[in-house]
Amino acid sequence: MIIANGKPIEEVLKSLEGHKKVAVLGCRGCVTVCLAGGEKEVGILASQIRMAREQAGQPVEVLEGTVERQCDYEYFEQVKDIIEEADAIVSIACGVGVQGVAETFPEKVVYPGLNTMFMGANLNVGVWAERCQGCGNCVLEISGGVCPVARCSKSLMNGPCGGSQNGKCEISKDVDCGWQLIYDRLSKIGRVDSLRNIIPPKDWSTSRDGGPRKLVREDLQLESGK
Amino acid sequence: MAGQVARLETFQPEIVAFCCENSGYLAAQMAIEAKLSYPQTVTLVKLPCSGRVDALFLLKALENGADGVMVLACQKENCKFLKGNVRAEQRIEATRKTLQRIGIQPERVAFCHLAANMGHKFVEEVRGLYGKLTELGPNPGKVRK
Repeated sequence: MIIANGKPIEEVLKSLEGHKKVAVLGCRGCVTVCLAGGEKEVGILASQIRMAREQAGQPVEVLEGTVERQCDYEYFEQVKDIIEEADAIVSIACGVGVQGVAETFPEKVVYPGLNTMFMGANLNVGVWAERCQGCGNCVLEISGGVCPVARCSKSLMNGPCGGSQNGKCEISKDVDCGWQLIYDRLSKIGRVDSLRNIIPPKDWSTSRDGGPRKLVREDLQLESGK
Repeated sequence: MAGQVARLETFQPEIVAFCCENSGYLAAQMAIEAKLSYPQTVTLVKLPCSGRVDALFLLKALENGADGVMVLACQKENCKFLKGNVRAEQRIEATRKTLQRIGIQPERVAFCHLAANMGHKFVEEVRGLYGKLTELGPNPGKVRK
């Protein structure tokens, strides 16, 4: 899922300076699961904004709403009323959701309430770690199910590099060497010999290097185009 | 000015106490039965475990008129749900930091461990927070006065 974390409240309050009626908009997708932008977090942020502004002598009306997913624009219909009523919206969805609000309500001022961080997994209560960079050309079949793009700091295709020490990456003793993980995993499944095969340079045009990406599936498209 | 002084003199802090039903709430009942006196501006909220408490509860209480909030949890290592009181304490700490960042005194949030038979401790904790809030004055963040 997409992992996000709340922006510092000072930053949110700064964005909202001068606004008299704002809507805090949550999302029931990934950010609810990673406890950053669901219905509860909408309540918490709304409360913080109201109290901060009250004690600063600049009261503000804060409306609250949460939709199923801010990345599926049809759900905005459910909160259209509060969005139209507010003079600014704080979206606590991922960056996709914030842009969804901006695209759906082009006349409205939209601020992000979260910092979108990465696509990752929940390793423990309160701990998330990156697992995929969405490179558009998955190589997990040759690396034993451990991603060299996301887990190696240099995204090397033929690692490890000289910075790998005792299974850790040179960038931090808290970061596992991705290629050590790949080696360990391939050893466990009896495929360590596959490391002798040199992986050719990766085509990064399917990743961000190719510019903003778009997926069109004609088998799913409707004749109306909507 | 005179009006403000008079208001401060008559200021009676409103407290919302979130109580675990296995300790804090029973201690409060014991205090009531023993006719121990404590401020009457305390509202008790019974929870199945202090671990049920959330930053949202504390912030909403403060926003909606409380001058201070408190969480009364079971003694350490004595939670019926094992770690509820530990989690409650973590959330209290996070809420205090949140309040500090928006300009509200973190001392407005209190936490204590106690057992069901500690009516006196309940009264002591409530009086302690009440005294502190009296010194701090009304919660500047409350939206509903």
